[in-house]
Amino acid sequence: MLHSQLILVSSVAIAILATIFAISSSFSSTYSSNTTHDDSKRKSITNDHGNNGVTKTATINTPHGVYQTTGDILDPTSQVVNGDKIVIDPMKYLRTFNYGRVSSLPNGTILREFTLIASDDKIMEISPGMFYNVWTFNGTVPGPTIRATEGDLIRIHFINNGSKSHSIHFHGIHKSSMDGAFEMIGPSGGQFIYEFYAEPFGVFPYHCHMQPLEEHISRGLYGVYIVDPKEPRAPADEMVMMMNGYDTDNDKENNFYTVNGIPYYYMHHPIQIQKDKLVRIYLVNMLEFDPINNFHLHGNMYQIYRSGTSLKPSEYTDMVTMSQGERGILEFSYKYDGQYMFHAHKTEFAEKGWVGSFLVKGQISSNYYDYSYNSGQNITNAQQRERGRY
Amino acid sequence: MEKEKQQDEENRIQQQQLPEKKPDKQISRKKMISIALIPIVVLAGMIVFLFGPGQSFLLNSGNSLPEVTIERIEFQDGKIVTFLRNTGPMIVTVAQADINDRIQPAAIEPSKNLSRLAVAKVIIPFSWNPGEPYEVGITTSDGVRFKKSVEAAALSPTANAEQISFFTIIGTYVGIIPILIGLLWFPFIKRLSRSKYIFFLSLTAGLLVFLGIDAIVEGNKIAAESVAGVFNGQMLIAMVTIVSFLALLYVSEKLVERANAMEKKEEEKSEPSLIQQQQQQQPSSVSSMSSYSASAKQQQFSKPFAIALMISIGIGLHNLGEGLAIGAAVLLGKVTLSTFLIVGFTLHNTTEGLAIVAPMARSANKVIIRKLIGMGLIAGAPAIVGAWIGGFLYSPIAAIIFLSIGAGAIFQVVFSIISWIADSNNNVRSGNVRMEERRKKSWLNTSLIAGFIVGMVIMYVTSLMASS
Repeated sequence: MLHSQLILVSSVAIAILATIFAISSSFSSTYSSNTTHDDSKRKSITNDHGNNGVTKTATINTPHGVYQTTGDILDPTSQVVNGDKIVIDPMKYLRTFNYGRVSSLPNGTILREFTLIASDDKIMEISPGMFYNVWTFNGTVPGPTIRATEGDLIRIHFINNGSKSHSIHFHGIHKSSMDGAFEMIGPSGGQFIYEFYAEPFGVFPYHCHMQPLEEHISRGLYGVYIVDPKEPRAPADEMVMMMNGYDTDNDKENNFYTVNGIPYYYMHHPIQIQKDKLVRIYLVNMLEFDPINNFHLHGNMYQIYRSGTSLKPSEYTDMVTMSQGERGILEFSYKYDGQYMFHAHKTEFAEKGWVGSFLVKGQISSNYYDYSYNSGQNITNAQQRERGRY
Repeated sequence: MEKEKQQDEENRIQQQQLPEKKPDKQISRKKMISIALIPIVVLAGMIVFLFGPGQSFLLNSGNSLPEVTIERIEFQDGKIVTFLRNTGPMIVTVAQADINDRIQPAAIEPSKNLSRLAVAKVIIPFSWNPGEPYEVGITTSDGVRFKKSVEAAALSPTANAEQISFFTIIGTYVGIIPILIGLLWFPFIKRLSRSKYIFFLSLTAGLLVFLGIDAIVEGNKIAAESVAGVFNGQMLIAMVTIVSFLALLYVSEKLVERANAMEKKEEEKSEPSLIQQQQQQQPSSVSSMSSYSASAKQQQFSKPFAIALMISIGIGLHNLGEGLAIGAAVLLGKVTLSTFLIVGFTLHNTTEGLAIVAPMARSANKVIIRKLIGMGLIAGAPAIVGAWIGGFLYSPIAAIIFLSIGAGAIFQVVFSIISWIADSNNNVRSGNVRMEERRKKSWLNTSLIAGFIVGMVIMYVTSLMASS
């Protein structure tokens, strides 16, 4: 007698269940697993476009295994940033030194004039597919490397095209009025001329000194300033390395760590160097938020000249730790061919982009250097004075 | 433009009014429809106006931020698979994935570009360690990172025979067996005196209220943890609970009506002597209730069964939610299912069997064991189904819906039980009742309240054992 009711109620229950099941399956997707382990291969990516151009599969190949996908690859460790909004070309920045527009004063002092333009509205690609509002000197992070010889007069024409006040504060010895800490240079075309003698010799950072300082620095308003001793250092393959980071989600912690502006860049674009040739790195740490940063070199040791203010090395090591604003000159040469990593030995930083590599070769084609030395980066009429190289 | 439309509409109405002027009261169907359509036409005009040129400032003011919700993380052989949904107001491009805040190469399917509410899965080849906590982060093209953590990684169940039977066994242990054990109280409940019986009935109500609140709390937790704001999880719980309550109330009323109608037919057919015989068969301990059972015989016959059935369904839905939670817990690596946990669930759910048995015990008819077991299965088996769904197809939204339906069902059952107790009280008073019976009234209330409180306390204490 009650069977019909039982059927009624249970059919209602089944209907409800079926509805829920339908909803739940629409909110979830099924998967298929097809992983094979391949520990021997390093990370690499291949994109195979089918002959008909319709099917597309890509493969990620990591130390954890291989995965083939019909979707997209998310891999800043091997993907190349190639958009026109790239924050910097790290390979170009590496060996570019700007010596300014050079003229001589009546007393024989060399005057070097530079133009630095600040802006704070650019949204640029800092990692593959990752866009961030960087504040820049001359449109790049880091800003251009400024180089002079001890005793030269440096004149910086500063233009602030940003929407906020900015300034330039150079490290080194100069007058209070040229310190860039108190004079806010107004937004939208404000100008200022910084003038000081290049002293002492060494390697220094320059950066904006407006409040909030943390924001003005972490957004990218900094660069490297090198003062050569009057008696030049030994000829070497010279390069500049700026250690920095990006806090893309504004939580006062870096999401990316880099050397020369793009995470992982020198992993997929190794820096070619010649075997047995002296390499000199002007290394500066401008990393915000984290108290320290460091530089570890594989397969080699280097002489470090702390702050570059002495001609005698302070240590022979493969590991230097620096706080924000600290810097040094590293000198080394490779005994053996091959690819060697360099990275922060704070491994968190390494695993968020601060890792690169040298490719040591017996002979390097001259084309390679042509690209590297093609400078003038946004500095008008920059004259390069070839010195201290080869 | 919309004014023209409006005028057209009014003209049409006027034209329609002209021919049939004489009877004012009788408005034609057409006229009714056109009157109803006027606001809709105006609304459509308004929407066209807002989307029209020059109005974009109205719709596009303010900063809208991208939002990605990670709904589920699965640990598979040699890789971690993350299911995400674009729950923000705009198209999102995923740029990067990380594990424990360290960037990892990954693949995203079907595409790194997600339109609104679209889903994607991110596959990260990774040698994960079982039992350890992990956090998966997804960073969008504007550099904002969205994360979700897992307490303990465990190999995600795949829908193979082994896993299905694993969940079936768990569901049987947690759902069916304890309820069937609880049903063994039937002979005991049947022999109780009325006041003690009321105690157990209200104890059942207490158990159920606990379960209902538990379901809402659990749903709320899921809503807060895993459901994007865009789905408005909390309101979903409220809505589904109320809708489920009302729908099941309606169904149960219909069920009782039908049962009553059938009962009357049966009564007409059957001989009076048979009814008397039945009355004599009642155990002596409930003789005080004989007058009550005679006057409220109809309800005794139909309502207990209907209520028991509704309780079974309500508990079934609850157990579906419970199974879902267990399956999902296995999937999400939240618990290691220990024997202790299963014992806890078993103890906890045995009381649910009692809830089914309590109203049935007053059925004047013979209770067929088959029916009792059937109800036990209705109440218990959904735990198995829930474990399958939770383990293989977990979705936080579906989980919330399940739990809310269960909560609504349970509150409906509590409502039925309490109104039934109230009804039988009235019957007792209106019938030929002795003085003793009247004096007992206050004591009856005590047993009702005591039962309710004891029910809640039992549930709380046994739930402590089921929480890992």
